[in-house]
Amino acid sequence: MIKRVKVGMASCGIAAGAGEVLELLKEITDEDKVVEVGCIGHCYAEPLVEIETDSGNYMYEKVQPEKEMLEQMLSLADSSRFQPNPKRIDKEELLITSLAGKIEPTSLEEYRANEGYEGLEKAKRMGKDKIIEEVKTSKLRGRGGGGFPTGIKWSFLASKDNENKVLICNADEGDPGAFMDRTLMESLPHQVLEGMLIGALATDAYKLFIYCRAEYPLAVRNLNIAIQQAVEVGLNIIGGKPVEIKVKEGAGAFVCGEETALIHSLEGKRGTPRYRPPYPTDHGFLGYPTAINNVETFANIPLIIREGGDSFEKTGTDNSKGTKLFALAGDLNYSGLVEVPMGITIGEVVYDIGGAEPGSVKAVQIGGPSGGCITAEYFDTPIDYDSLTSLGAMMGSGGLIVVGTNRCMVETARYFLEFTTRESCGKCTFCRIGTKRMVENLERITGGEGTPEDINVLKDLGKKIKQGSLCGLGQTAPNPVLSTLNYFYNEYLAHVEEGYCAAMECKALVDVFINKEECIECKQCIKNCPVDCISEGYVIDNNLCTRCNSCIEVCPKDAITRVAKGGVVRVENQT
Amino acid sequence: MSSVAQVEKSNLIKALQTRQQQDGYISDEAIENIAEEFNLPLVDVEGVVSFYTQFKRVAPGKYQIMVCDGTACHIIGSTLILNWLTDALGIMDGETDEDGLFSLECVACLGCCSLAPVISVNGKIYGKLDRKKLLKIINSFKKKEAAGA
Amino acid sequence: MSKIKLNIDGKEIVAPQGQTILQVAGDNGIEIPTMCQDDRISRTTSCFICVVKDTKSGQWLPACSAQAQDGMEIETKTPEVNDMRKTVLELLLSEHTGDCEAPCTISCPAHARVEEYVRAGRDGELLKALKIAKERIPLPMSIGRVCPRFCEKDCRRNVLDNAGVAINDFKRLSADLYYEDYMENRKDLTGEKVAIIGSGPGGLAAAYFLRLEGVSSTIFEKMPEPGGMLRYGIPEYRLPKNILDKELAHFEKMGGIEIVCNKELGGELDLNQLKKEYDAVIIAVGSWQSSGMRTEGEELAAGGINWLEDLARNGWQGEDPGETIVVGGGNTAMDCVRSALRLTKKPVHCMYRRTEKEMPAEQIEIDEAREEGANFNFLTQPIKLRREDDKLVLECLRMELGEPDASGRRRPVPVEGSEFEVKADTVIAAIGQSTLAPEGINTNKWGDVEVGEKDCRVTENIFAAGDCVSGPATVVEAVAGGRRAAIGILAYLKGEECLFPYKINVSRGHWQSLSSEDLTFLFEPGEKGRVKQRLIDLDERVNTFNEVSYTFTEDEIAEEGKRCIECSCTAKKDCNLKDCSESYHADPEKFLGEKGHAGYNSQHPHIIMDNGKCIKCGVCVKICSEVVNEYLLGFKNRGFETKVETAFDRPLPEYCTECGKCVEACPVGALDWKKKED
Repeated sequence: MIKRVKVGMASCGIAAGAGEVLELLKEITDEDKVVEVGCIGHCYAEPLVEIETDSGNYMYEKVQPEKEMLEQMLSLADSSRFQPNPKRIDKEELLITSLAGKIEPTSLEEYRANEGYEGLEKAKRMGKDKIIEEVKTSKLRGRGGGGFPTGIKWSFLASKDNENKVLICNADEGDPGAFMDRTLMESLPHQVLEGMLIGALATDAYKLFIYCRAEYPLAVRNLNIAIQQAVEVGLNIIGGKPVEIKVKEGAGAFVCGEETALIHSLEGKRGTPRYRPPYPTDHGFLGYPTAINNVETFANIPLIIREGGDSFEKTGTDNSKGTKLFALAGDLNYSGLVEVPMGITIGEVVYDIGGAEPGSVKAVQIGGPSGGCITAEYFDTPIDYDSLTSLGAMMGSGGLIVVGTNRCMVETARYFLEFTTRESCGKCTFCRIGTKRMVENLERITGGEGTPEDINVLKDLGKKIKQGSLCGLGQTAPNPVLSTLNYFYNEYLAHVEEGYCAAMECKALVDVFINKEECIECKQCIKNCPVDCISEGYVIDNNLCTRCNSCIEVCPKDAITRVAKGGVVRVENQT
Repeated sequence: MSSVAQVEKSNLIKALQTRQQQDGYISDEAIENIAEEFNLPLVDVEGVVSFYTQFKRVAPGKYQIMVCDGTACHIIGSTLILNWLTDALGIMDGETDEDGLFSLECVACLGCCSLAPVISVNGKIYGKLDRKKLLKIINSFKKKEAAGA
Repeated sequence: MSKIKLNIDGKEIVAPQGQTILQVAGDNGIEIPTMCQDDRISRTTSCFICVVKDTKSGQWLPACSAQAQDGMEIETKTPEVNDMRKTVLELLLSEHTGDCEAPCTISCPAHARVEEYVRAGRDGELLKALKIAKERIPLPMSIGRVCPRFCEKDCRRNVLDNAGVAINDFKRLSADLYYEDYMENRKDLTGEKVAIIGSGPGGLAAAYFLRLEGVSSTIFEKMPEPGGMLRYGIPEYRLPKNILDKELAHFEKMGGIEIVCNKELGGELDLNQLKKEYDAVIIAVGSWQSSGMRTEGEELAAGGINWLEDLARNGWQGEDPGETIVVGGGNTAMDCVRSALRLTKKPVHCMYRRTEKEMPAEQIEIDEAREEGANFNFLTQPIKLRREDDKLVLECLRMELGEPDASGRRRPVPVEGSEFEVKADTVIAAIGQSTLAPEGINTNKWGDVEVGEKDCRVTENIFAAGDCVSGPATVVEAVAGGRRAAIGILAYLKGEECLFPYKINVSRGHWQSLSSEDLTFLFEPGEKGRVKQRLIDLDERVNTFNEVSYTFTEDEIAEEGKRCIECSCTAKKDCNLKDCSESYHADPEKFLGEKGHAGYNSQHPHIIMDNGKCIKCGVCVKICSEVVNEYLLGFKNRGFETKVETAFDRPLPEYCTECGKCVEACPVGALDWKKKED
């Protein structure tokens, strides 16, 4: 007997077509039983549908909006059953995302039915000092990247004698390829909210903001619903006074993840950071004492209060407690969101959870565009704040990009730096001009026009930008370049000295070549070439070719490949 | 300093977002209206608009195409996607074509990394693209317009 | 208030709490440079030139904003800190678009303040124009006539109508009008005395600049009259000798400069003797040795410069040379051709082994020679000269251009079997000249006198200047060299090292790489083309040695002055970025890349906003909003695209003229008064 049909309707699911699946399901089965849930983190398998029955739950992956398939599924057929990678199940530890994808995000009842808001209730009984003690005991560190102990930050705010204190949830997740916060807000808005309310209770802050990227409409919607629901039942009444909670949408500026920039943006200004001190806990939103925590940090709080800081402290390493969410992407089999205990090794995440083939991975980029890369030889490094920093990377908010052996590290570094350059607010000289000059420098190198001096300039300027910038963006922007220079110096050198890109990625350093022995003369490449540079004799004029890969994509025989500039021509001449 | 005025001022971005939702972009007139409404200097409002990438100062095309250049998409070839679109539409990143039909924009991340490479057209996501699939999508819009005209 | 203890540059300091590092350092006499800091406004913390290092924490701190804290150990002057600041400046310079100095001034070998004297001339202030020109050019009458006008070749006006401003004519007119009336301020004579050997432009300039500083000199000249190349090398029709006499009379009037003629080194003059008798000696003997054709029979040809010298000694009256062949393509060759044309009705030929394009002579000389009837035989190389009866027979080869040689010009190579012969009455070899250095003086591989790069010193108290150092060059280059030697001597006399301060010049680039969109116009540039130089009748030209060109009229100069677009920076005298860059030896070319937002707004009658120069410090924005309460300026865009502008890029209101606080506060020339000070 089917109790409920749960369709994963977080952004990734919707993008994969879950909306159509949901519509059709509502048509062919009991509409009331079809519910929208959040994300279980297995993005590669979306759209995902879970069927709750008396005899247990059944999950189906890659569900298509086709009547036949849906009907089969509703009859609990064996095909398309979702079989998560068993290694992943083994390595993951779902503490804060245990409800994600399992419950209806915008159902207060369902959240409450799963211990929701018990933490808040307990906190109310504990009182502010004990809450802060508990959070300190848990040794929870900020999940936004900085890793500042949350309990200490709260104690700063709590100690301020001001009736207009402000608590902000930083949900301006701007790293390309990171979606931890989005998943939490879309799938577990009440959990985030509960964490914030406990924070408000601990610090006497009666004004709460969630500063969320405008690009996350579903998160904004779910949060707003959750807030309304919480307010309706008076969950926001603390000490007899209502706490005001508002979702504020950002407008597209990565730098607003930096706390002083975020505050400026909340105030309706340009999101430029300012020099600290004064810190926001002294002088924040409109001058009032303000504390800012990341979404994931808040999502940890209900658990800590409910289970106790001691219990929380048991997971993780000496300096990094609890679990961490990572958004896995790049060259691996199972992309998606994972929650792992601190201290797990990079290798376990990449190979066991991500399913990447050993030997096919060159490095991971941890910490988003401002993080650094870590090469495969260091994959036995445990994931914790300090180990990552010591390798020149950082925890960041949790983006983890797997870079395959077939990628060019210079180009990868250029890509990340170009992102931060675009996102620089333009205030500090080093960041505003320095990052631009570094990108131009990298463009010269990937364009085959670099010199050894360019490499020296990258090192020197990179170091100075880190030292001479006001905020985290500038202080970390050169990391991808500096860390790849450190670990992949030879790739830089090969570009500069030999004009050679081993990954065949840098356009200026490759030609496109048709292997006549494989070619079946089907004309596909000729038809698809946007610049008509392939002759009737199936020879590519590499002077005209824009390296757009159209021919490579359409070739049914994979007879067309990128080769090192002049490479194959040389071989031909010799034979 | 009146904190009431400042609190109001903090709604500036929201007001601009609302206006953009109505008009599709932020016109000079919108800046003038909002500056007046918030009692802010024109140049400050213009400064805020130009700081955030969400705000568009020119009217977008009927079909707003966003090319995701998030990490996952980039690694898998969003640069090629953008090149193919540029060729097919004759417009560059950040431009709208002369007929006001298509506008093209490269964005940081559309958040559908597992579907890379992706684009969105008027908010609808198209994933796992190759050149053929992409051109088919664009041609379907072109055909639709040609039939309508 | 409680006190804190910290250490800055090794100095233990007690300071009140709550002050910035900048304040504490300043109160204790430690200077930290700033650009974006202004006491009237809240902090901007943007430029980072004030960065210092706290060695205690290892952190780099912006001194303008970071509070001094107990126990800090601050370094403000170490090589590491200086290097950090240098990089800040190099980054700012890498996007800085403008011209610290106008290209005319840069390209003038003497670096005369060209834009300033052109502006004075335009405004009818010709005495002022003369004064400015004479700061660097003590021979404005001569140079106003014979200069090859390096300045005009680089003049940005070329961008608009392919013709530079007729700059040299400003000198010529202002000198013609006021030269004899104007006497510059000279310091009292110190009693120091310098012997100068050679009264050409190099020696005269050295004497002039020494005299301004109170050092007297005796100029020894081997010829009967002073002037060197000006008198014996440049023909009368280009530089009338009565003009030269006027100009030279001034040197004696200055008091302390004595010119003694008919004294030659190695003759009555002994270098060792002079060394002892005078505080210093300058060798300025020029470059007078004609190079031969290096062919059989070359002795039958006259040397170009020697031929001119003979003519000069004869008062520019010579025998009819008959049909004449001048071999060579330089200015001396043109002087010979044109002088010969004035002496004979027979044909005069110029023979040159490359083509007209490669000729080193000034185009105007070639054009005027052609007007006067010269024949040009290009791609022709003499190989043998012989006398046959009363004629000279020159055997020649035809040439063609091959690969470029070291000079970048295509090398002429002989065409096989192309030998031919021509006959003439006179053959003049104006191939080139070389220096005949005094005995015992070190020379370089070209045979020119070897001098110290900065101080122009040969050895001990002997210095050198002019063509004998540079090889045959122009009058203005000799004058510049004379000034450098004077500076070298002045330093030597004071017992100091001769140091030239590090200077930077940010440039938009050469005009050939620019279009009018790349330039900033303070005012609408005048539309008229270059005023045409008027010449005497052709008939008079070919029959007399009268001066060929007329001096511009005052009206013509006023008209021509409107063509100047005043490209130098309005803030060139008070630019914080330039000052800092020079004191930290920042290189404007260190980081090459996109310059970013240029664009400017000059619609306001008195104020120009030039984005290309802005360092985005935001001081103007805060001055306008926090001090003046006007809110007219603001930041737009972000990152590298950030710029400061008005709402909708509208012009600043006219009432801004009354305030001008932003203009005064701008550390560079991004917001500035349009009117320049001289």
